[in-house]
Formats: sequence, C-alpha cells, structure tokens
Amino acid sequence: MNSMLGVLLRVPLFQLYRKFGWPQLLPVNLTLSPSPKCNSRCLTCNIWMKRENELTIDEWGKVLSSLGKAPFWFTISGGEPLMYPHVVELAQLAYEHCRPGIINIPTNAILPIIPERVERIARSCPESQLIINLSLDGIGEKHDYIRGVKGNFQKFEERLGQLLILRKELKNLIVGIHSVVSTFSIGHLDEIIAYADKSGVDQFITEIAEPRVELDTVGLPITPEPAEYATAIDRLITYVNSKTYHGMSRVTEAIRVEYYKLVKKILDEQDQVIDCYAGWASAQIYANGTVWPCCVRADDLGNLRDYNYDFKEIWFGDKIKEVRRSVAAKECYCPLANASYTNILHDLPTLGRVTSNLVRPHRVPASPPVAVKPASIHQSSELQ
Amino acid sequence: MTLDWLTKFHGRLKKSRDYAEKTLASYRLGMRAKGSIIGVALRPGPNCCEQIKELAEGKIYHPDEAPYLPLPDCPRGSNCECVYRPVMTYQEREPQVKG
Repeated sequence: MNSMLGVLLRVPLFQLYRKFGWPQLLPVNLTLSPSPKCNSRCLTCNIWMKRENELTIDEWGKVLSSLGKAPFWFTISGGEPLMYPHVVELAQLAYEHCRPGIINIPTNAILPIIPERVERIARSCPESQLIINLSLDGIGEKHDYIRGVKGNFQKFEERLGQLLILRKELKNLIVGIHSVVSTFSIGHLDEIIAYADKSGVDQFITEIAEPRVELDTVGLPITPEPAEYATAIDRLITYVNSKTYHGMSRVTEAIRVEYYKLVKKILDEQDQVIDCYAGWASAQIYANGTVWPCCVRADDLGNLRDYNYDFKEIWFGDKIKEVRRSVAAKECYCPLANASYTNILHDLPTLGRVTSNLVRPHRVPASPPVAVKPASIHQSSELQ
Repeated sequence: MTLDWLTKFHGRLKKSRDYAEKTLASYRLGMRAKGSIIGVALRPGPNCCEQIKELAEGKIYHPDEAPYLPLPDCPRGSNCECVYRPVMTYQEREPQVKG
C-alpha cells in the first residue's frame, strides 16, 4: 500500500473521512521535528532560539511503531535536521516501522558531517526515495545575509558538490535546491533560478515565506506582496514548464507548479481555495512530543508522552475534533507547501492538472531567466 | 497583511503555565547568539486591560525586563489574548530597547 498508487487509492477514503468522520485513517504525510536547534540565523525564522524537552530516540521509536505502514511521506524537519545527533537512527526507525515511499529532509548545508549522514540514511533505507533539499536564498553574500551565517554560501557549494557525487552511487537519493521566497529574496529569485538551472540538481523548488506559530514569525513582514509574488512566480512556472524532469522529481515539479498557482490564489482570495487536509491526511510531531495538525496553526492536539506514545490515541481522540471543525469551516488558510501537497492530491481538478502535466510530451529546454557567473557553480556543473 | 486570521488565532491559543518564561528565554538566547532579534514587544489582545496597553505602547523590551504574560491581575488567566512578539532588526520601528 506504500506506493504513490496506494496514496491515490486512499484519496476517496480521506475525502469521506474529512466529510463524515469515517473511515478513520492515519495520516499519509507526517513531519517529524526532532529538535528546533539550528546553526542558521535566518531572517525568516526564529525556531532556532527555542529549546525543548525533546523526545529521546527510544521515545521516537515507540511513536513510529504506533503508526504502522500508514505514512507514505515523511519530512524530517527542524531546526537543522541533519544537525540532530540521532537523525540517522530516526530515519531508520521511520523506515523500519513505516516503510515510507519518501523521506524528505531539508538542510542548510553547513555542517561537514551532512554527506556522511545522508549516505547512511540512503543506504539503510533502500526502498525509500531520500530527498535532500539544500536551502538557497541568494547567491554569494545575499545568501549569507538572509541565512545570517557568513560563509554559508561557500559551504552550500561544498555540500552540493559532495551530495551530487553521492547521488551517482545511491539510486534512491534525490538532491534538490529549495528556496524560500521572502521579502528579502524575491528581488533576486531569477538569479537563484539561473543558479539552480546550472547546478546539476534533480529539482528546484520554492516555498513562500509565511508566518507560522512554529517559527515564531507571526506578524513579521516576511511574506512578499501578492502582486510581487505573482510576477516572480509566473517566471518560475514558465521556467519549470520548459524543463524535463525524471522519476520522483517529475512528480514533485508537476505538483509544485500547481502549488505555485495555488499560492497566488490563496494570497489573492485570502481563502483555503481547495480543501485543507491538515488534521486528516497530514500532521506534524514537534520535538517535545506534541502533535500538531500543521506548523502554521500548531494547535496542541496532545502530547504523545501523555498517551503512551500511541499516535492513534491523539489522532482518533476528542481534542482533534474541534480543530478539524475549524479547518473544515475555513477559519484558516495558508500557503504551507507541505500540507498543500496533500491537499492537491485530494482535489480532483488540481490532481487532474498534475496528471496532465505528467503525461505531456517533454519540451525543449529553455534558458533560465538570467545568466549567472560561472565561478559560483564551479563544482556542481562539472559533476553532471 | 497576509494571514490576518493567524494574528488573531495566535492570541487565542491557550497559554501554557511557562509561556512567559519559555518565550522570553528563547528571545534572550536569540539576542545572546546574535540573531536578528533586537527585543520583545507586547501585542495586546482585542479585549485587553488598560495596564497592558500602557505597557505595550511603542515599547521594545529586553527579555530580562519584559513583563510576564498573562499579567498577574489578568482576569482571563491562561486564556489571555495578549502575546509576545519578537522585534527584528529589519522591522520599521526604531529600536529603543528598554532596560
């Protein structure tokens, strides 16, 4: 059942679940945040300041064993997830208990130990696609400024080169670049696209910077104005549509294009636009064991330590009912990419457009929006 | 501003007993570690008391000096809708850290 087909077969069941509360299902998309600690100092995120009474790796094992084979897609988030000392064991536990189709890990690419940890995860989870997305918010000093770490861009390029070498050996490893489109980066998004185009990565994806309770960014002016975002993202959509992607990256990019269009509508209409399945098909477990429907609202659905680490006790309990009512009543809306992926799969017209994109013939590659200095992509372009 | 609902929603989240201690500790750490946070502001809830309005008005506190929320006399207790907000270097307000 843990294949993309299995996920699609569950779509009508989740639609029933959301509408009628039956049949009861565990989420297909689960984000694990083992620690908020991070060695970046991003302008768009304050999670790195937090300290929590974190779940131990043994506690994570109990939680993951309670989920069975339900989750198809795990994201291991943070903080900086590859800085978390037990990240390899955590991925292995998720694999052992849940056999997910996808394990997705974003990284700031700073620590030298990252390639070794990625390799260990990829080798010990051979039946899962491991997606490592390196964060890139600008080229050179622009990246360092937004991420708050001098020399970050240089480390990014080192890690990118190392991971692209690893990818040659590890068939289940996908290497991507992930960019947060914020008020700080929107002015140079074209430069990032141009860089990504020449970098040799499997996929380039972006996410709009949005306020989140999780990140303690509520009320901060980090989200671009809708019109400015629409103009920038239209150029990205044109670029993505002109490229050819393979395997899982082809699916990711097809969904991502629909996500970009969805974000424009959400910002414009200030509405969910399509039904949100956070709290039914997607969820997050925070470092201290608290279960959230999503990281934007971060409603406290209960702490796994109080429920003998049994996720089902919280997911099928009473407290979540009010949150589900609120989400279904559209008391919230947001452009959170992770939840949007699941939402897109459960919205038939949008899913139809994704499918149509997937089956269309390959197109002639187009040039990226602007040129980029070859010196800044020295390693990765040589590796293609 | 985008996601206006979230601003209201954030205030309505029930506060844990250690809300003030934990939030201010994180801001303290953020300032010590040279993040782009320059202090903490109080954002009064829609039905807040006069006292919080006075304490919040145009002020940026150092985390060591910020009043504890909920205020001791707050009739709403853990349902108090006033919240802390980090104040960042890039925000338009001139930084005038108190304390």
